[in-house]
Amino acid sequence: MTMDDNKLTFDKITSDLTHHIRINKGFLVWMGFLTVSLVACLYAYSLQLRTGLGVAGIRDYVTWGLYLANFVFFVAASLIGMLISAVLGLAGMKWITPLTRIAETIAVSFAAVAGLVIVSDMGRPERLAYVFIYGRPQSPILWDVTVIITYFALSLLLLYLPMIADMAILHRKGALPSWLKGTYKCLSLNFTDTPAQNRIINRSIRMLLILLVPMALSIHTVTSWLFAVTSRAGWDSSIFGPYFVSGAFVAGSAAVIIAMFFFRKNYKLQDYITDLHFDNMGKVLVTVSLVYLYFNINEFLVPGYKLQRADAIHLTELFSGKDACMFWIVQIGGLVLPILLLFFRPFRKPLPILVISIAVLIAAWFKRYLIVIPTQEHPFLPIQHVPQNFVVYTPTLVETMITIGPFILVLIIITLISKFFPVIPLHETAVEKGVEDV
Amino acid sequence: MCFKKQFFLLLIFAAALGFRVTAQTWVVPDDQKAVTAPAKFTPAMQKQGEQVYTKNCQSCHGLPGKDNWVKLVPPPGDLAKEKAQKQTDGEIFYRITTGKVPMPEFRNIIPEDDRWNVIAYLRTFNPKYVQPEPSAKTAFTGRIVTLAMQYSEPVKKIVVTAHEKLKDNDKAPAAGIEVMLYVKRFFGNMQVGDMKTTNAKGEAFFEFPADLPGNSAGNVDITAQVNDPKNQMKATPAAATLAIGVPTSRPGLTETRAWWSTRGKAPIWLLLTYTLSVLIVWGFIVYIVVSVMKIRKLSQG
Ligand code: HEC
Repeated sequence: MTMDDNKLTFDKITSDLTHHIRINKGFLVWMGFLTVSLVACLYAYSLQLRTGLGVAGIRDYVTWGLYLANFVFFVAASLIGMLISAVLGLAGMKWITPLTRIAETIAVSFAAVAGLVIVSDMGRPERLAYVFIYGRPQSPILWDVTVIITYFALSLLLLYLPMIADMAILHRKGALPSWLKGTYKCLSLNFTDTPAQNRIINRSIRMLLILLVPMALSIHTVTSWLFAVTSRAGWDSSIFGPYFVSGAFVAGSAAVIIAMFFFRKNYKLQDYITDLHFDNMGKVLVTVSLVYLYFNINEFLVPGYKLQRADAIHLTELFSGKDACMFWIVQIGGLVLPILLLFFRPFRKPLPILVISIAVLIAAWFKRYLIVIPTQEHPFLPIQHVPQNFVVYTPTLVETMITIGPFILVLIIITLISKFFPVIPLHETAVEKGVEDV
Repeated sequence: MCFKKQFFLLLIFAAALGFRVTAQTWVVPDDQKAVTAPAKFTPAMQKQGEQVYTKNCQSCHGLPGKDNWVKLVPPPGDLAKEKAQKQTDGEIFYRITTGKVPMPEFRNIIPEDDRWNVIAYLRTFNPKYVQPEPSAKTAFTGRIVTLAMQYSEPVKKIVVTAHEKLKDNDKAPAAGIEVMLYVKRFFGNMQVGDMKTTNAKGEAFFEFPADLPGNSAGNVDITAQVNDPKNQMKATPAAATLAIGVPTSRPGLTETRAWWSTRGKAPIWLLLTYTLSVLIVWGFIVYIVVSVMKIRKLSQG
């Protein structure tokens, strides 16, 4: 630790971790910007609602376009909550404490919005309920809907439970507007730090963490099955589950690092989120990236060695054809290079690792594009007697805006959560540092 | 509604675009254009034609006169409209017979008579239509063959017998006729054995496989056909249902519980796994929420 723990008092921790909870100009400007952007995207969606999915570039052959790529990306990003809180947490790693809430916030917001992303791909969104009413238990689509809702509920609880004690502190300490204090009081459930209360919270959190592991694995495995249970080239793969899960950890770790960087800078949390955290997250990122690289090698080398007919067409387009440029930038720039760089400590310093993480995250999005779209451009039967725009998928402007919308929504949710709640668990930090509330 | 209009404009635009890309003219040879129907169209023919149309054409061309054809590329169009109606009967007949992607070739799907009946039906939508003189039938000079079939228990073979009609209306065994035997399967006819040529007695013998599954009573539907690729004969095929298959009662693929069946026919183990998993996980979630609610009661001071 860079700071002298002895000097810490409970009041100092409280003020350090909660001073950002106030409505300032920067917040209003940022939220204003997000709201205006969101309205623009909603306008694009209203066009789609009125005119139909024809406003998007998706046609008979490529029916899953940006929306589905985006959906896979969102589900992927939400998985990080499980890696940080559950896997590292249950393994007893103490350094993750200041990062758990960031990870959970990312998980909750991406999981919540993932559901909306899929609705944007529906021609008749008002029939959403039919998925449940008429869903076939045999279909991975029903499983996916089920596990995403469940994962969202678990993540929300896991975000909330450690916050109960913080709410109580905030309610008592902060010089805040009364409506905000009222909200904190209500959310704190009158928590008074009694052993019985703490027992309930700790036990519940533990249960959640244990449930979270299989649920998180399920959501991304089932999402991968949406593709892998069909026999099409590029999707017909038995390692799609772990391939997706490991890819999700890569995207999620990068997202957490980016969020860490901005929270630390904007909310002045340098004493809590230290270089050591970036260094450790860098090691996490390089580890999951290596696993992902391993699955990538399997996913491309094995069919690439055999080059069966349909695979050959698909892989040739990826390796040296129409999609080659995007493919190699994503694979090298978003996976191989980051791994090589992150092996070295200087690159795990906050600024370099921020840049690397942004590259990784952008590449992760385009990787989803490469997983979803090219396969559909190479059906088993030749494409004939259709207009040119059926043959090659080109996203439209409206479609792009509808795709950007969910990102803005995620940013809004993350901003609101981080603005009105401590980004770093307050009570837990105090307990770990051994300073008790007096 | 505005939404509909825009949508259709878009579709038409897409279709037009496609037409430009794939437009190849569909030319009918002149001699085919001149072909006329074999008989005067009658109300009975029109009625029969309507049925054929409903079954084979409506799915793409829509209801005649209603312009509700399916938006394919190239567009099928409404056959009651000018573009189709200004063509000769021979032209339409040729198109139905030969087809052109995506329109199927109906040569072997709709018998010749019915192809003319469809035209008879379509012409009812054209008040200006006057039927040209039916083509005078030239006397048929080829062989007129009728097949019959039976199973011969002693030799364990299917015997197909060919007879032909002679000039004086007598019947005689037809030798040298090439015959093929088919058994009906799930997706169509499967040929049994090789093609055989009838002997001097007009007979051809087909060995029938002993392990071919029939229905629960062992029945199989068998047809015998004359091989006449150049259409030089008038041949009547023979059909029979014979109890020579292996009795099999296997439920249809969609009758049992399976991955691919409907919701009501999901595999039990899957239903159990799904329901149990949901119940267990949500049971925990509810339990957690309920116990967290207790925190309120446990507060002090
Ligand atoms: C699978 C869809 C489909 C079915 C079924 C179908 N058609 Fe067509 N038909 C088409 C298409 C598409 C065209 C346009 C082809 C072209 O212009 O190249 C067409 C063209 C025609 C034309 C020429 C029309 C013109 O304006 O030149 C006729 C006549 C016709 N069909 C008759 C029929 C009849 C009669 C049937 C039923 C026995 C039938 N079609 C069934 C798709 C279909």
